[in-house]
This record gives sequence, C-alpha cells and structure tokens, in this order.
Amino acid sequence: MTDSSSNVLELVANYYKDYGCRARELHEQGRKVIGYLCAFTPVEIITAAGFIPFRIKGDVNEPITRADTQMETIICPLVRSAFDITLKGRYGFLDGLVIPHACDSISRTYDIWKYSLDVPYAHLVNLPHSIDDSSLEFYKNELNTFRRSIGNYAGKEITDKDLAQAVGLHNRVRTSIKELYELRKSDPPLLTGSEMTKILVAVMGIPPEESAELLPGVIEDIINRKNTPVKQPHRIMVVGAEVDDTAFIDVIEDSGASVVVDDLCPGTREYFPMVEITADPVDGIAERYLRGIKCGRTYREVKGTYDESLDDRFGHIMRAVEEYSVDGVILYIYMYCDPYGFEVPAMKDYIESKGTPVLYIEDQYSQSTISRLRTRVQAFLEMIG
Amino acid sequence: MTGERKQRTHATEAAGKAGKLSRELTMKAQQAKEEGKPVAYSFIVCAYDEIIHAMDVVPVWTENYAGVCAAKRDAQRFLEKAEMENFSRSLCTYALCDLGFDIWRAELGEMPPDAPWRGMVRPDMMLGSGQLVCDPRNKWYQAAQHYMPDVPVYEVGMPWPQYESDYDYREVQDYYVKYIVEQLRGLIEFMERHTGHKMDWEKLAELVDITDKTWDLISETYELRKAKPCPMDTGDAMNTMVPIAFMMGTQEAYDFFIDLNEELKQKIARGEGVIPDEKYRLLWGGGLPSWFALSDFNYFNSKGAVFPAETTYRTFENTRLFDIDLRKISDPLEHIAWRWIKYWTFWYDAARKRPGSHPDVERLVQYIEDYNIDGVVMHEAFSCRTWHPGLIWQLNQLKKVYRDIPSLILESDIVDISSYSEADTHARIDAFIEILESVKSA
Repeated sequence: MTDSSSNVLELVANYYKDYGCRARELHEQGRKVIGYLCAFTPVEIITAAGFIPFRIKGDVNEPITRADTQMETIICPLVRSAFDITLKGRYGFLDGLVIPHACDSISRTYDIWKYSLDVPYAHLVNLPHSIDDSSLEFYKNELNTFRRSIGNYAGKEITDKDLAQAVGLHNRVRTSIKELYELRKSDPPLLTGSEMTKILVAVMGIPPEESAELLPGVIEDIINRKNTPVKQPHRIMVVGAEVDDTAFIDVIEDSGASVVVDDLCPGTREYFPMVEITADPVDGIAERYLRGIKCGRTYREVKGTYDESLDDRFGHIMRAVEEYSVDGVILYIYMYCDPYGFEVPAMKDYIESKGTPVLYIEDQYSQSTISRLRTRVQAFLEMIG
Repeated sequence: MTGERKQRTHATEAAGKAGKLSRELTMKAQQAKEEGKPVAYSFIVCAYDEIIHAMDVVPVWTENYAGVCAAKRDAQRFLEKAEMENFSRSLCTYALCDLGFDIWRAELGEMPPDAPWRGMVRPDMMLGSGQLVCDPRNKWYQAAQHYMPDVPVYEVGMPWPQYESDYDYREVQDYYVKYIVEQLRGLIEFMERHTGHKMDWEKLAELVDITDKTWDLISETYELRKAKPCPMDTGDAMNTMVPIAFMMGTQEAYDFFIDLNEELKQKIARGEGVIPDEKYRLLWGGGLPSWFALSDFNYFNSKGAVFPAETTYRTFENTRLFDIDLRKISDPLEHIAWRWIKYWTFWYDAARKRPGSHPDVERLVQYIEDYNIDGVVMHEAFSCRTWHPGLIWQLNQLKKVYRDIPSLILESDIVDISSYSEADTHARIDAFIEILESVKSA
C-alpha cells in the first residue's frame, strides 16, 4: 500500500501477501473453514452454519506441477493453479469444500477436488443457467438442500434468523466495498487499481465479520492519507472472469494508466449486487445469485430486439465507463474460459459501438506472460492517445 | 504432420450406412429450408428430440456438422474465420467451426464456397441447453445470434443431481423433474410461438414410447458386443452414434438397431469378429473421438486390439433397469424428465456400494468386467471441458478402488487437426500395445 503509516492498510497488505494466514490462525483456534470457488457460492449459508467461508485462489507465481497428475491441462488455468497450491498444502486448514455449478472448469472438476483433497465435507450447489421463474424456484430448492446438508455437517439447523444475520453481515461488507469504489471516481482516484485488488483479495480470505469491521477503517485511512495516487493520463476498466492477483493490474498501472473500475470477480460483479431482505431469506439469496450477478455463465433471455439484449447483458459496463470516466476497456480473459470466451466478439463490438476503445487480451494466469502483456497494453494506451 | 486422410473401414454393414443417414439429415434440413418449413439449430443429448419431431420442426444438429467438416478435414478454414472474429482457439471447436461457418455465410449471404455437404442452413430458431455440463450449449447459440440477430434462442434448463456422499439423489429428484417439465413446457410454448405449429401431444407420446423402445433395443444390441471375438467395436460405434444422437424418437432409429441387432447375432453365430485374431480387448473409457482420425481405430485393429465397449455416446440405458416403471408415467413431459434423471443417476447406487468409488468410475469397472477388458483408452480433446476433465482422475480412482489396468490417454481434439500428429499417436499406441503384451505374458 502507498501509506506505510497506516496499520489498517498494512494489515490488508499482509492478508493479501500471506493469503489464508488469518483463516489458518482461526482454524488453529478451533474455527471451521469452508473453502469455495467462484462468486456463485452462496456464502451467506456457509456463514449461517457458523463456518468461515474462504475463497480458494490461485498463485500466478507458483508453477503448476502437482495438479497435472490429477487434472487435465485443458482446464481454466486459474482453477488449475488454485487446485495445484491446494494440493501442495497451502490451504491445509480447510474443513470443507463448496463448489457451485458456475462453469465447466469449476463444476466438472468438483469430483477431482473432492476425492483428491479428502476434506470431511463437500457439496456442489447446482445453479441454473436460465433466470426465469421456474429456474428461480429450482434454485431455491437447491439452496435449501445445501442449507440442510451443511447444517448437518455443522450439527445444527440453520434457522431463518441465522440466515438473515448472515445476509446482513455480507451486505455490510458489500456496502463498504461499494464505498471504496466511489473513491475511484475522482481524478486521480483515491486508491489505485492495485490497492483495490489487494483489498478485494484480502476480504476473500478472512471472516465476513472481520471484513465488516476492517473495511470502514480502510476507507477512512484512504480518505485521510497524504500520499494519494498520482494522476495518470488514462483511466482504464478491466473486464473478465476472475482476477485474484495484482500482476496484470500492475502492468496497466505501470504503463501510465489508472485502473478505476472493473467488471470482475472479485470486483463489482461480486460486490455490487446486494441480497434483498425478504421474509424467507432464501428468496433474497436466490434472487441475487441467479439474477443479480451478471456473469457470462448465466443466460439472460432476450427481451425485445437483439440490440436491447446487448444492453441488458453489457449495459452495466457502459454505465461504469460513464460513471468512472473510463477512456479504454481491457477485456482480460483466460484461455479455456468458455463463458467469457464466447462473449468476446459481442462484448467488444458493443463497447466499441458506444465509442470506447477495447483491447482484448487472452492470458494464461502466469507471471511468465507479463512482458508480452506489457507491450500490448502500452500499444493500446498509445493508441487511445 | 497429420498425414493423408484414410477412410476408416467398417466391421458392420449398419455402420457403413450411418454416414449416408447423417448426410440425409443435412439434406433434409436443406430441403425443409427450401420448402419454408421451420428449421432449428439443435444439440444432441438434450432430451428434446421427440419435442422437435412432434412439433414438425427440422433439426440441424450443429455438433454433427462440425464433426462432418472435421472428418472431411475441411474445418480449419471455419476455425480460422471464427478466430479472426476474436473467438479464442481454446474454445469448443465444434462451436468455433460452426460459428466460423455462420459468420462466413452471413458475410456472403449464401453458403461458403465448397461447403461440406452443401452447407448448414440458416436456422429459424436455436435451441440451447443449460445442463450440469457443457458451457458451449449455453453460450454457442447466444454467440451465433451476434451474426443472426433476428433468430430467436431458447435456453432449456436440463440439470441432474450431483453424486454426493451426504444424501441420496432421490431426496431431490422430485424438484429436478418438476423443473425440467416446466422448462420443456417453456420450450414448447417458444416453438409454438415461433412456428405457428401446435404441439401434437398424441404424436409426442408415441415418439416418447419409441425412444424408450429404442434405448432398450440399443442396450441389448450393444450387450452382444461382449461376444468373443467382438463383432463390432468402438470404431463402428462412432458411426452408429448417428441414429442415437441425431435420430432418437424416430421409427428409423429403432429400425436401424433392429438391423444391427440381427447383423451382430449372425456374426456371432458365424464366429466373425472385427479382426480375425483378437488379442486385446479395450475399453474406450472417455473422450470424444478425433473425427479427422477415425482410422486410428483401424490402427488399433491392425495391432490385434478391439474395443467391445465405450462410454462415449452411450447416451442411453436399458429403461427396464430403472428403479421406476417409466411406462406408468403417461404425461410425455414428465416421462422425458424422469428418463433424463434416471439416465444420469443410473450408476449412482452401484458406486455407493464400492467404497471410494464414483458413478463414472463404477461404469468403467462394470464394463471392464462385463466386456472382459484388458486395457482402457481415453482421448483428451483440448477444446472440450465438458467430457474431458476428470479422465486422469478416473483412471487414478479406478486403480485405487478396483485394480491396476493398462491405460492410455491420447491427446488431440475433436475438430482441430492442427493438434494431431499421426506419427506420435501411432507411436503411443505401439507403446501401449507393448504394455498390454507384457501384462498378458506376465
């Protein structure tokens, strides 16, 4: 972080650097930690069961070795990396595993994870691809199955009150994250894209109650610190599936641009949609995950013309471009990513048709590609002037 | 080097007819288009076959067309076309091939030059599917719509319960069935809206019965392949998949397997196998084939190896072995939904009986036992994350819960021939045969 005098920001930096350190500590103190993949895991239910939801991330600096003995190399490189470091014991504190039916790379490797890690609890939450009413009803049933299943593992019945409290807690975290994004609207932004990524990643690895306590302090420190980021000639938005490392963000920010907003996980896709407070908490949770999170893996039925459907699918990107005064969008997609790979031509055409330049980069989730990426980013920034 | 294209030789007459059937389906869609009949881009194994036929809509099996382009070694130009539009070459190459075709056809306003089998017609609708597998079924038609913005897409949700340790799928199957029925009803409403046709419910019920009968018949027919010498192997099954995947719910598919059944019985009576001197019996244990290199099955044959069984395109089970009596379910949509759930959960109970097993592994074990298998061969297609994740793990698990059995995972693709080397593939097969030989002689 840029202000070394801040204890809160130092703590965040440490949580980012030594990802999982807090979960490990709490596990050693007797808390149970449930690892999960992807923003589609209904973390409220894990929290309501009394467990710590811990998002399993990869490591771009660690060569993938052990995973290749269990998992094909045709899988999303981020998932392979996450599996690799988990196999190597980085997250040896996990007491369970929850995987949502997000994409093939995640759901089709569920059994590999489950049987290879041999954790005492594992569950796959099925999530429809469609968002119509019958899909919502089906998904509520799936959430209740998960609720009973993890409740059995916890040895308790998860009550509506437990769920409502968990919803409130996770919504508090989301509200704070949204406030942080507000600080990026100014020019220069009050925090860099790299700093934001570190905060987002740190929050994935600590209990939500600690995130809810930590984030207001982070916001306060950022607002009050003296060393603010330097104004850059370009304001960039990054769009893609999942970015859990600063490596690529640093490439952009080292090339004379600020990353001011994103449509990523973790990022706005994950933190902007809130869970509505409903009489049956499962209703609000289902609505958020099925309809609220706009991800390429979910099919959004065309309403009206094709152009209107594009507005529905990608309109939020253009709204962010406007709100955050973005002058270039980078589509950053990993190889073997079917949900986002198939989006690229439509998304790129849509954004460019609104007058915003787009750079499409396909990457491999590895530090080894950084110099090549730098050249392409620099050329893009030169092109947009 | 990929080498010259070699025509695969068939062991059965039925397999020889399948290519013609596939071509006829493509021509039928072309004819329907000329006559103004509704045509729908469709995916195989989506359980909507009978609905399409009963609605008098003509399917264009898009995966089939990509496979045909691949088999003719004429897919690269379509893959490149898609790549030029910024579709990554790491995506499903069935999808990329057809998207490239769609883009080219849209640019020209007519079929691309020298299109295999005179080309894939522009559809009137596209029927996608959201399952527990295959992101491309969910994304491909949406992506195609970018080049055909007036063509409507329907996404039918077709999930099935995951195999879990802490509960039985029967605890959740009712709400799965209810959901699938509602999704299929939505599909029918969509098709009625866009075709002006009304669903013929009596016809649908008839076709649903035909599918049941056909599933049972294919199961019985494929059981005949247990005979030694094996009368038909996986090379032929990659042809007889045509009526399974593209003609289900038709009398023609049923009749095809009546003929095959008879043919296999006659071969068995004559003691006639795929090869005269059968040394090794192999299981094709997973992965879609490289459509441009089907003659590799003949290469295996030339080394004394046959494939009496495969898991690929075994998209049916004997419905009489289900734990419910499908015939008592008179509502055709419920019938389809229950058949779907029972198909996907078919191996769950068997897996639960063997500690550490899993339905996919249990199926391998059962086939190894039933078909007297000496080794397992799989194919990892780089562009498909639907059927190809978990192959390594399944073999590892097989060794843990059953026994160590020689295995080989070939690596290439379904459509993209640039991923293939005939010399390397044959060298790997040769090495595998040596292992089989050493195990046999040990």
